[in-house]
Amino acid sequence: MKNKLSLLLKAFAAIALLSALSVWIATGSHRGWTQTSTVEMKTDEITGINYPVRHDGFVAGVEIPALGLLAASTLGGLGFLLGRRPSARS
Amino acid sequence: MKTSLRTSLLAAAALSAAAHTAVQAAPQSFDFKDPKGVNNVQFKLDAPLESITGTATGLSGSISFDAGKPEATTGRIVLDTASLTVGNPLMGEHLRSAKWLDAARHPAITFEAVSFANVRKKDAQILADVTGKLTVKGITKETTVPVSFTHLPDKLGARLGDPKLKGDLLVLRASFEINRSDFDLQPGQMTDKVAETIHLSLSVAGAAPRP
Repeated sequence: MKNKLSLLLKAFAAIALLSALSVWIATGSHRGWTQTSTVEMKTDEITGINYPVRHDGFVAGVEIPALGLLAASTLGGLGFLLGRRPSARS
Repeated sequence: MKTSLRTSLLAAAALSAAAHTAVQAAPQSFDFKDPKGVNNVQFKLDAPLESITGTATGLSGSISFDAGKPEATTGRIVLDTASLTVGNPLMGEHLRSAKWLDAARHPAITFEAVSFANVRKKDAQILADVTGKLTVKGITKETTVPVSFTHLPDKLGARLGDPKLKGDLLVLRASFEINRSDFDLQPGQMTDKVAETIHLSLSVAGAAPRP
């Protein structure tokens, strides 16, 4: 039972880390805080001015993989502790 | 009789042309409150650990410009501090807070042109190094900014989609850098995350309507 739970926790740890990394990479590996809007540049026809138009959008910041790593460490650590065999006493 | 009529017509045409030239040569006042909301400033701070980019669109001001005498240009551009926006709302709040730009106490960032140097023409543009008073967070510093002026005669109606509207447009573009420590923006603090140098890029169009 303990072994099963240990394996499950380790699996969740791997999933948490991989998911966080995947989301961060998929949204552009932004090395800043998470952004909830993105900018699209447009050009004004007559003046030729480039101007920003903001849209709602999600860009994962560095705190996402950091949180993933924290979750993975916690879950993996618990899994490792549960999976340890009791040491034989002499 | 015919000769007299011809002479009169020629004189009238010459007078009209002279009047038109005089009007064109006179300085025009361009209003930079853009009804299309296109006028913008983009800013970028590239620190070792974090890159911050943002935009601001709350621009206004007026400039007196004479296409025949650009060095005599005067005026000021005003940026509403509260209009500065970044992709992260919490970071935007910090940026406008008392710790950084203090938008509540200093609602405007202004640039007032004082003198022009190195004025030259490049195709349809007039380029100049404009020295002026830049005020950020209540601190005024003399700053020299390379500016390009593009005068677009009779384009106001086309831009605003109203052919009956007569007037000219003046487009200003400028890219320059300032140091945040010069304006008491947390000097020397958090330089690993908030760069000391702020890259600014301004693109604005002003309108001078004619009756």
